[in-house]
Amino acid sequence: MKPLTTMLTRKTLRAVVTVALLLVAIPAAQAQSAPSAERLELCSSCHGAGGNSKTEKIPSIAGQPEFFLLNSLVLIREGVRNVEPMAPFMKDMKDDEIQALATYFAAQKPERTDEPIDQAQARRGAELVDPRHCTSCHTPNLTGEQTAPRIAGQRLDYLIDAITAFRDSRRTGGDPLMSEAAQGLSDADIVALANYAASK
Amino acid sequence: MAVFATHFRFAALPAACLAMCLGADVASAQQSAVPDVAKQAERSGQSPNLRGVPVPPIAAGAEKLPISRFKLPPGFKVEVWQSGIAGARTMLLGPKGTMFVGTQGIGRVYAIVTKNGKHEVKTMAQGLNMPNGLAMKDGALIVVANKNVYRFDNIEDNLDNPKHVDISEKFNLPGDRPHGWRYVAFGPDGKLYIPVGAPCNICEPNYATHSHIARYDADGSNMEIVAKGVRNSVGFDWNPITKELWFTDNGRDWAGNDQPEDEFNRLPKGKEGAFFGFPYCHAMGIPDPDIKHADACKDVVLPAVTTGPHSASLGVHWYTGDMFPAEYKNVAFIARRGSWNRDKKFNSDLAIVRVEDNGTGKATVTPFMTGLLDEQKNEHLARLVLPYQMPDGSLLVSDEQNGAIYRITYNKDAAGAGKN
Repeated sequence: MKPLTTMLTRKTLRAVVTVALLLVAIPAAQAQSAPSAERLELCSSCHGAGGNSKTEKIPSIAGQPEFFLLNSLVLIREGVRNVEPMAPFMKDMKDDEIQALATYFAAQKPERTDEPIDQAQARRGAELVDPRHCTSCHTPNLTGEQTAPRIAGQRLDYLIDAITAFRDSRRTGGDPLMSEAAQGLSDADIVALANYAASK
Repeated sequence: MAVFATHFRFAALPAACLAMCLGADVASAQQSAVPDVAKQAERSGQSPNLRGVPVPPIAAGAEKLPISRFKLPPGFKVEVWQSGIAGARTMLLGPKGTMFVGTQGIGRVYAIVTKNGKHEVKTMAQGLNMPNGLAMKDGALIVVANKNVYRFDNIEDNLDNPKHVDISEKFNLPGDRPHGWRYVAFGPDGKLYIPVGAPCNICEPNYATHSHIARYDADGSNMEIVAKGVRNSVGFDWNPITKELWFTDNGRDWAGNDQPEDEFNRLPKGKEGAFFGFPYCHAMGIPDPDIKHADACKDVVLPAVTTGPHSASLGVHWYTGDMFPAEYKNVAFIARRGSWNRDKKFNSDLAIVRVEDNGTGKATVTPFMTGLLDEQKNEHLARLVLPYQMPDGSLLVSDEQNGAIYRITYNKDAAGAGKN
């Protein structure tokens, strides 16, 4: 039998050790409980299994930056970001329950949307990415960071809706810098950009 | 808590917004040239990966506040006045002792009351659209949240059941999100002063609706523009000697790490309606590199003093109290929050501005409370928004990053002993 160290890659081993150390380091009182199965089922009923949405105009939340999820959920709870279907069960959610959901969905594996992508549109969208500086917040592979969500592989119909709302300053609770970034985009530009991001 | 959150959820519905948000200005902005930010960044020599610095939606615990790292002149002391108020920005003390606190992204207005020497924090309004603007008149609290203006009559007697009147219509403020949060205040003339920033980083705005500071009667009537060509002012106060309006203005992004600097402007008496240069002329006379204009700085009121590049100079308060040494009397305190659009972040602080000749002469800026930036990590430890003088002469200052308010006091004996 091979020794353990050769069976596991060193990277994996380091990750396992780190997780183990973290678990030891967190005092019981602060340990974050995972979201309940019931609650996860509620999320999945719209956002899809594991947070990969197959529902029209509902975004995928798998693999989103943790900060983005935390921030969005707090703003939805507060009623700043208006998501009517979520309002009733977000209303009284505690900060640590929101944190648990953010941690959970940030750790889920994102899948690319299964909607058909218009490749010609995607190519045109690719040309808008640099002038629009999308990657400075959404990162070069569009997987997002901090307040900027992962848009790579996101649902096309949702992306079109969201970018349009940002452009028109209708996205309450959205980052004003994104409204600034979307300024001057035509409807056609938005369709092109959305196809590009969804295709990634 | 969440007293009329439900009501405001309706107010925030896209349908309610469509009518006003898609006004003529937004529509025309869509047809304007698309700025190529990549080219601007290349020209400015700034890293193209600069991005906004997010405000945490949850306040830092009291034990995590970076207060031990703050540095002040001898004799001054800083302590935590209140923690746990996510997104704390604007402060306003009611005549009956309630401290109202406005926010931006988190959409809350807090009311802090003191009972038996202890603070009690209430979330008196929730779900608002960037409610940074607070003003008070005749016992009524006015909350300005983007394009919405709400009036809470007799608020201090109704904190547990606050009722509001929506008086937005008469003010008719634009609903753009870029620079869509506002600092507001009643002036010595009894008028409500409301700035509306440019709806962009750099563009040619319509001064009738944007890029100005205007004053109104308390009900929204008799609007009059007092300053135009203002990119985005999020703080102002009237000099206690001259009664002139002084306001900060944030310089544009993507034109360099070290320029243009932010501004501290004086609106000289009798010059109401004066032009302060945006978008053609920045800081002490820098013509804009994108929007070219012959004689870009002609007839522009230049700032009294510049306040540092990407410093995000926000709240202003002229100190009139007796607690601080005499040399601080009639000195302006400015919160320099620190902007995102700089590779090496501006060394944010609470600064003072001294103005010679009783508020009419040369102005100079000096850091006052420092230690707010971790220079090695290039990260802000705290981001201050507004200094606010209390009746005892102490100075409060809000920290949006950590969701806290600090209190700065002065003790002559500590100064003499060389302690801090």
